[in-house]
Amino acid sequence: MKHILLSLLSVLTIQYGVGQSNTCNDAATDTPIVADVLYTVNPFFGDPSPSNCSETAQSIGDGLWYRYVPDGDYQLIINTDLPQNTGRDPRVHVLTGTCGSLSCAGGDDDGGNQFLAVATLNVFQGNTYYIVWDNRWQNSNPFDFILSEGPIPPPPPVTPVTFTTQSVANPTGSSSRGLVDMNGDFLDDIITIQSSSVNISYQLAAGGFNYQSITDITFRPPDNEGDPQPTTVRYLPTWSLAAGDWDANGYNDLLYGGNSGVTFMKASSNGAAYTEISGPEYVFSQRSHFVDINNDGDLDAFVCHDVEPNVYYLNDGSDNLQFFQGPNPNGVPSGLGNLSSGGNYGTIWIDYNNDGLLDMFIAKCRGGEVSAKINELWRNKGMNAQGKYEYEEVGGNPGVNLRDPMQTWSGAWADFDNDGYMDVFVGASSLSDGPSKLMRNNGDGTFTDFTSGAGFDLGLTSIENIAADFDNDGNVDILFSGGIYFGNGDLTFNYFNASMPSVGGVGDANNDGFLDVYSGAYFRNNGNDNNWVKITTVGKGYETNGLSNRNGIGARVEISTGSGINEKIQIRDVRSGEGFKFMGSLNTHFGIGQATSINYIKIKWPSGIVDQINDPDINTHHIVEEASFTLSVEDTLVDNLILYPNPTKDYLNLNFNNLLYNGNYSVIDLSGKLILNAQLSANKIDVSNIANGIYFLSVTSEGKTQTQRFIKQ
Amino acid sequence: MKPIRTITFFLFIIGLLSCSEEENYVPVEVVEEPQISPVVFDLDAVPYSTLSAYNFFDGAIVEQSPVYGVLPYDLITPLFSDYAKKKRFIWMPNDAKATFTTDDAIVDFPSGSVIIKTFYYDNVLPNLTTQIIETRLIIKKNDAYIFANYKWNEDQTEAFLDNNGSFVNVSIEKDNNPFEINYRVPSETECRICHKSANESAIPIGPKPQNLNKLFNYTDGPKNQLQKWVDVGYLNNNIPSNINTVVDWEDEDESLELRARSYLDINCAHCHTDEAHCDYRPIRLSFSDTENAANSGICIAPEENINNALTHIISPRRNDRSVLWYRLNSIDGATMMPLISRSVKHDEGVALIEAWINSLETICE
Repeated sequence: MKHILLSLLSVLTIQYGVGQSNTCNDAATDTPIVADVLYTVNPFFGDPSPSNCSETAQSIGDGLWYRYVPDGDYQLIINTDLPQNTGRDPRVHVLTGTCGSLSCAGGDDDGGNQFLAVATLNVFQGNTYYIVWDNRWQNSNPFDFILSEGPIPPPPPVTPVTFTTQSVANPTGSSSRGLVDMNGDFLDDIITIQSSSVNISYQLAAGGFNYQSITDITFRPPDNEGDPQPTTVRYLPTWSLAAGDWDANGYNDLLYGGNSGVTFMKASSNGAAYTEISGPEYVFSQRSHFVDINNDGDLDAFVCHDVEPNVYYLNDGSDNLQFFQGPNPNGVPSGLGNLSSGGNYGTIWIDYNNDGLLDMFIAKCRGGEVSAKINELWRNKGMNAQGKYEYEEVGGNPGVNLRDPMQTWSGAWADFDNDGYMDVFVGASSLSDGPSKLMRNNGDGTFTDFTSGAGFDLGLTSIENIAADFDNDGNVDILFSGGIYFGNGDLTFNYFNASMPSVGGVGDANNDGFLDVYSGAYFRNNGNDNNWVKITTVGKGYETNGLSNRNGIGARVEISTGSGINEKIQIRDVRSGEGFKFMGSLNTHFGIGQATSINYIKIKWPSGIVDQINDPDINTHHIVEEASFTLSVEDTLVDNLILYPNPTKDYLNLNFNNLLYNGNYSVIDLSGKLILNAQLSANKIDVSNIANGIYFLSVTSEGKTQTQRFIKQ
Repeated sequence: MKPIRTITFFLFIIGLLSCSEEENYVPVEVVEEPQISPVVFDLDAVPYSTLSAYNFFDGAIVEQSPVYGVLPYDLITPLFSDYAKKKRFIWMPNDAKATFTTDDAIVDFPSGSVIIKTFYYDNVLPNLTTQIIETRLIIKKNDAYIFANYKWNEDQTEAFLDNNGSFVNVSIEKDNNPFEINYRVPSETECRICHKSANESAIPIGPKPQNLNKLFNYTDGPKNQLQKWVDVGYLNNNIPSNINTVVDWEDEDESLELRARSYLDINCAHCHTDEAHCDYRPIRLSFSDTENAANSGICIAPEENINNALTHIISPRRNDRSVLWYRLNSIDGATMMPLISRSVKHDEGVALIEAWINSLETICE
């Protein structure tokens, strides 16, 4: 704005002290200030602004108040970007209303050269505005400012949704990490961790929160005999927080990924107290997860290790988590990211090839020309003959194209084009080894680079990259540092960063079906008129052998809207832990745009069971227990799946002419226990290692399941 | 101490030349029998399970009184490690010596070299005693360096090999107030986060000529450390006369710029240098690199937005707008720098960086 104003300066009168007040009430009766007059601010000693209306979050200093009453509707520019102000650092808040009841209308800290403020806002005749200068950054230098009035410009493109920053009772600070249910009512709660407390704003069904700081914590025993009993947790979630009900008591437990180790906080039987479990193992934690790695119905945990092979904690179902690192015949024989120097930053568990088995992607980062920075994709090969799940790294296989050296801290996985397969946006945290990438899943295990023309600003970097549908239009968006790429459903995106949330945990803090964000501040999504549906997946493995983990983590949820050529199918994986640092909702959320009905919700559980709810209510939070809407075995029973022999001693030969890509098979005994579960690799299944008896063989491919009884002799 | 090691080395050369080590080949001008270092060191057997097994120290090891051949040394500007004090020693086998390469690179140590660093606190409460926490060794084993950490027992009679990492709670008196430190004894992997060069191979950090080039008070009087290393036969005598040398970060007679750059070198440059852990971030913080002001982050926009007020990695005159100051001033694990080796704030170091940033006059575009 400098150029406009310089020519005016010679004819301006400099007004010292005019209209300058120390309080709102004084300003309300003082002479209002006007455009095109240079005012000098000096000194500061008045009331601070009641709100921070600027882009910087630092606390508000002493203020100096001016009143401004426009005589028409204008775009008002409050400018300090003047030569005489060089080196100064003013901050301004513009509020409207009456004293004691003011709300932000505009503000700025660094909009001009260097640290000079230039606030631009639309003002309307009949309103009173208070311009409050803030002494946050400087205290002795006087500075000048000038107002200019111009026509109101055409509005910027309409944001698909807007967000409002809401205050919550949680302590502020860097331990603000979670937006996920903690008290078993499936409403997302706001979690802030401190060393001696778990601080939760419990969402109330009626709206609002009930804040509790839980200090009833049984800390770990002392390290050495004679040491005092610890009164703080060993590791804070400095690098990540994950939540999941690993002991299946109905209350989610927490995992703190710390600088040099991992702390588990196990919720008590009523969720009102916690027990700390902290192992001695050195873990430079990065992204963490709860996930049923060995698919035994008990939730395990996984933590990315920055400088060593990744670690995981297998749950024996009797309240014990056993630590493993790297390949281990008693754990995961293949390991899950085994490079000795690590580089593991952002893991995410997804089923990229729709075979019903959870795979894992690792976003990696490390300086230098080293293999530790090469991203990895670990494909789940299913159970081996010993009943252990085996994985293999396939990121560099022909056509997969995910073994990328870019410096990344997370990848956002979702079906951005609604073709039934999870695509990935790998976000660069630094540009030194290339910018962010969008890779389309071709549905045959390969990926193609669709970055060009997708609408990304490739000069931007982000540590947090989280896929979710923020505007409920049925197309998945990407929460990126300081903004949202709103998806168009065709692998193109529109970026909005004005008044968008910062990064954080994604969930629904006011149960309105629109996703909010929490990371120190609570960014409330103001919503629009699109429709939605939410699903809580309640696995029943804690009651019935062979069923899934209690959170349903790893389930594939699918919904269908529309019909005929307009039918739209959307998919989600239930995840504990995405992005880099935060923990979001364990509820599955879909926007459905203007659709007024949903054909079905289908849940493919990790157990292999499929529940389908036909014609569910929209704009509703459905709580679905595993096997309560199941397509019964009888519905899928056929008599021509197994060609021969039946009964069998060793092999079942299947009745397919061609191998089904992505086909998955499972063998379940009469008690419902999962005995075999793997991807079909031939038209022949080896059952020589299972005990004699009667079983069901189920083969699922492209969403269709066929089941047949067989006898093992 | 006389320059015995030079003589020992001379003997060795004679031995090589004559293809024999027999006594009668010793030139007659040698007037003293070579003194042998009593250190116990078998390259194939190290690291030993206890610190005392090496026999680095005379008498009670808690006294840290080095035997012959274990040479104490000091760095001009040291790494901050939660206010722990440090004693440093170097030992090399009889027939080996290091070679100068450049001012800012660690000297090229021969196989068998042992760098010894003991971390301790004075003024430990309640009785204001001295407590040794750990002694870390870096051993050059053939072509590679290995780490061996020895954690001291409560009685201070022995230290035991422990490369797994652990915590020790220490209460000290600092500025007349009790001060709590949850001291971290690093695991081997944690050592490697900082102590590594290209291709993740392990290296020492401190003993660079530019950080050794100072006087040290030896038992037989003060002498320049590099000269002493040459004199005792620990360093080949190819040291240039002009070494670009860091300054003591606490020396108020030196410029703020040199003090700050020296501080950043030893505390930050091991990660923020080419091919190092964090070379993907746009700063290079070694003393040599920061001769170019942009390498230190002056007027460079950060890639990670911690908060909107932090406009540059270093915003001249404005420590409160500078990421580098913010991270040094933080104790949040995911924000603070350095990201390991400290759990408390180094108030004096932060004050130095603050004064330096606020003295800078560059105007950022």
